[in-house]
Amino acid sequence: MHETSIVNSIINTLEQEFEPKKIDQMIGIYIKVGKLSNIEPRLLHNAFTANYPCGSKFHHVKLHIESTEIKIQCESCNHITQIENYNFRCEKCEEPSKNLIQGEEMLIHKVEFDD
Amino acid sequence: MSIEKSSKAARGTVQCENTNINLLKANDYVADIIKGEMRKNKTLLINITSSAGSGKTTLMQETAKRLKDKIKMAVMVGDLETERDAVRIRESGVQALQIVTGGICHLEAQMIHQVLPEYDLANIDLLFIENVGNLVCPASFDLGEDYRVTLMATTEGDDKPKKYPRMFLTSDMMLVSKSDLLPYLPFSVDAVVKDAREVNHKLEVIQISALKGEGIDEWCDWLLAKIKEKQSS
Repeated sequence: MHETSIVNSIINTLEQEFEPKKIDQMIGIYIKVGKLSNIEPRLLHNAFTANYPCGSKFHHVKLHIESTEIKIQCESCNHITQIENYNFRCEKCEEPSKNLIQGEEMLIHKVEFDD
Repeated sequence: MSIEKSSKAARGTVQCENTNINLLKANDYVADIIKGEMRKNKTLLINITSSAGSGKTTLMQETAKRLKDKIKMAVMVGDLETERDAVRIRESGVQALQIVTGGICHLEAQMIHQVLPEYDLANIDLLFIENVGNLVCPASFDLGEDYRVTLMATTEGDDKPKKYPRMFLTSDMMLVSKSDLLPYLPFSVDAVVKDAREVNHKLEVIQISALKGEGIDEWCDWLLAKIKEKQSS
């Protein structure tokens, strides 16, 4: 259910961002979702296919989903740590940190058009 | 034949556009408008989240009873269906409106913004948003709140913070609720606090029982201090 509303917001966002003519030429949407975003790529694919089945407006558009790891940058030593097991702590100096630099995002980072 | 095929394939050119559009852009835009409204009226806005049945509404009732003579408090409450929670909160003598989401599993900033005109914000010191009972989706939606408070009931089990990390990561306060049931449950407060603080080392914690009163004074004092901060800002 949540994935369906995400699909709607992807399409709404793109329709606001681009002209209708451009939208008709769209062939690929590249999404980046962080592991903290609570979005499951496979379910998002299913929701997209269910919303836009064969013959519908966007059925020819391919959805590419990249899932990104959770990373923090330590405020004390600047070291970047990839978080495992949701322990938000710098692996180098062991300081706890909430300074997320990746992993929360829900981004449309690229759109492909066919002229 | 093969040449024809390849020339066909080469006819169109694929053009890329790097966008980096945040999918929650619309929500965050409205959340900023709400923040502005709260700043203007010096109203403290608190987003209360938790699983279903962890005691959010009972906490609202108890908080209303204790604070309604000291400050002006109001509540908006989200549920998939029914007006039951708003009715319960109104019985404690504070204004409460129900937002029926009609199946949506979380509240979005737009829904809050739509009901704001129903509140006389200039005369409200503390406005609670009681979110839909769900530890997953509400974590992603900023409602313009000053603080996010998550209830973690002893009946839910002490392993939840790592199962739903984003909610605990984005919260400012965890209320370990239904503490009166601790003698009957295999629930370790130390374990839940340890896990929650591995996710979010800045998380504040109060152990409460809205039914028996444990921790409610401390909770109300925390609220009064935050209201004071907001009003002197």
